[in-house]
Amino acid sequence: MFQSTPVQQYPESVITECAGYFPVPGAHLYTVLHEVEAPRARVLLVGSFASERHTSYRPWVQWARYLAARRIEVLRFDYRGVGESTGAFKEMSFHSWIDDVERLSTWLRKREGDAPLILHGLEMGALLAAKGFHKGEADALLLWSAPLNANQVLRSTLQRWIGPQQLLKREEDRRPPSHYFRQLDAGQSVEVDGYEWTPDLWRESRCFELPDTMVPPNDPAVSYKRPVRIVPLGKSAAPLVLGGLLNGFEESKDFSWIFAPNHEWIASSLHIPLEAA
Amino acid sequence: MIFDKLESRQLITLGADGILVRGTYHEVPRAATGSTSADKKIGVLFLNPLSTPRTLIGDSAVYWASSFAAQGYPSLRIDMPGLGDSYGEVAKDLVTFINNGGFAALVASKVKEFSDRFGLAGVVIYGHCAGGTTAIYAASKCTNCKGLIITDPYFNAANMLTPKLSPGMVDWARRTTVGEVLRAAYARIREARKKRGNGKLPGNANVTLVAHWKQLAASGLPILIFKSGEPAALGSSKLRAGAFDYLEHIASFAGQRSRLSLRTIEGTNHSFADRLGRAAIREHAEAWLHKHFPAAAVTAAQENIFCELRLTSVDLSVRQDESLRSL
Repeated sequence: MFQSTPVQQYPESVITECAGYFPVPGAHLYTVLHEVEAPRARVLLVGSFASERHTSYRPWVQWARYLAARRIEVLRFDYRGVGESTGAFKEMSFHSWIDDVERLSTWLRKREGDAPLILHGLEMGALLAAKGFHKGEADALLLWSAPLNANQVLRSTLQRWIGPQQLLKREEDRRPPSHYFRQLDAGQSVEVDGYEWTPDLWRESRCFELPDTMVPPNDPAVSYKRPVRIVPLGKSAAPLVLGGLLNGFEESKDFSWIFAPNHEWIASSLHIPLEAA
Repeated sequence: MIFDKLESRQLITLGADGILVRGTYHEVPRAATGSTSADKKIGVLFLNPLSTPRTLIGDSAVYWASSFAAQGYPSLRIDMPGLGDSYGEVAKDLVTFINNGGFAALVASKVKEFSDRFGLAGVVIYGHCAGGTTAIYAASKCTNCKGLIITDPYFNAANMLTPKLSPGMVDWARRTTVGEVLRAAYARIREARKKRGNGKLPGNANVTLVAHWKQLAASGLPILIFKSGEPAALGSSKLRAGAFDYLEHIASFAGQRSRLSLRTIEGTNHSFADRLGRAAIREHAEAWLHKHFPAAAVTAAQENIFCELRLTSVDLSVRQDESLRSL
């Protein structure tokens, strides 16, 4: 018999989670606001790329709830053309996703009650959050597993996808990753994990980079005079990031070893009290 | 301004039983339905498998739910408690929890709530992989379930398949394509060995799950099953020939009432998220829905027949369970 938490025992911050659709040009973004009364700070979570969304989703939601339970209001969302958001993936570009980040951070900043805003990006989302922060969108920046550029993410996603696909195909139909890279270079679309990658997206990914000021040995906190933390996550952080062959399939995995120090950093760098859940 | 409803979609929470489950409802466009407004429609409830959120891989469930709604079948995609956007604790060994029907009572309750809330004549449950296992268990528990669409079902019990492996390894074998190929090869070898013996269910079968399948098939409940093609890496060797045909086994117990339909889609993968898989599921599932639930409605007479058959088949299944246990 299934046992779950009766509704009267749900944490207040879970009951007040509010899902909705945020209008952007040509689409609606799926958003979930983890609403908090008199928040100490606000965080916009900018998640991983489309293909990694389903594996990172649960720990990402857990992180949002972890923060909300500590009086930090969180807004998480799906990019245009991905997940619960509307729009066609194949029509999207990194610039449309940067626009998503900018519009949502503006909206979040304008909410009632003055509280500092943090942009927090994961993998591909780290690039988008970094770009937004670079433009002055937020008071602090937290990046997990930030790549140097978007092409790096696309390449590794395709390489991870193609290996298992080979097993499903006859020997004569198997192609190495370089075959698909050439196809994209030649202006043809490639379907990966159910998403149609266009040549434009591929081309754009090459010059969609982490700002120089955030690339070691530069110290971004010095450049921006605002708190910045860049955290590389290893395979032990799977499925938040993709793990190795045997990592990343534990739904009940405890991520407090990642959550707690990052929450402490948010509190200390923004000079807000460290709230217990 | 943030909305909870678009023209064709609505974000909803089911919680009448005290357990909050988040979901996305796809409405039937007014112009698209062939039925009159007075008709009660058949809805489709999508279950998320394991930790994959309710969009499913490649957002394929969004595509199917929108398509079914456009054909006159309002669809709802939900996240099980503790997964996706739904809050809750998750079992330490989620695969075994699901294999033992852990979510069945909850889903049966949500089927009823979905049906009541939107005034439906009944619900078809759509389950992929582990979601299919939950769908089978849940359908046995609720009269509101009028049909099933199951993609890539499995019939073995993970802990019986690999008792000597670590839980992490078992989990990996269950969820990855590489693991899928190894698992399929291993299962073939075991099954082939078993077949040379007494020709009964393989030793790694999830007997309780198979019994529920038989019960539902014998009740005459319309069931549509999609299978992706065998991994080519298995080759055309004796491994393929050695596979135990669970569906044939189930159908042989079901008799003439059985309304099992099977479609194998070659060239797609386990997620069915690629263009080919999506289109094939959409096409065949819509044709199947129109055949079994024409004009997106069931009559009261049909409803009574399903209930009657389901109740009759419970007795049958008990006998079958006993005979299985005696093997």
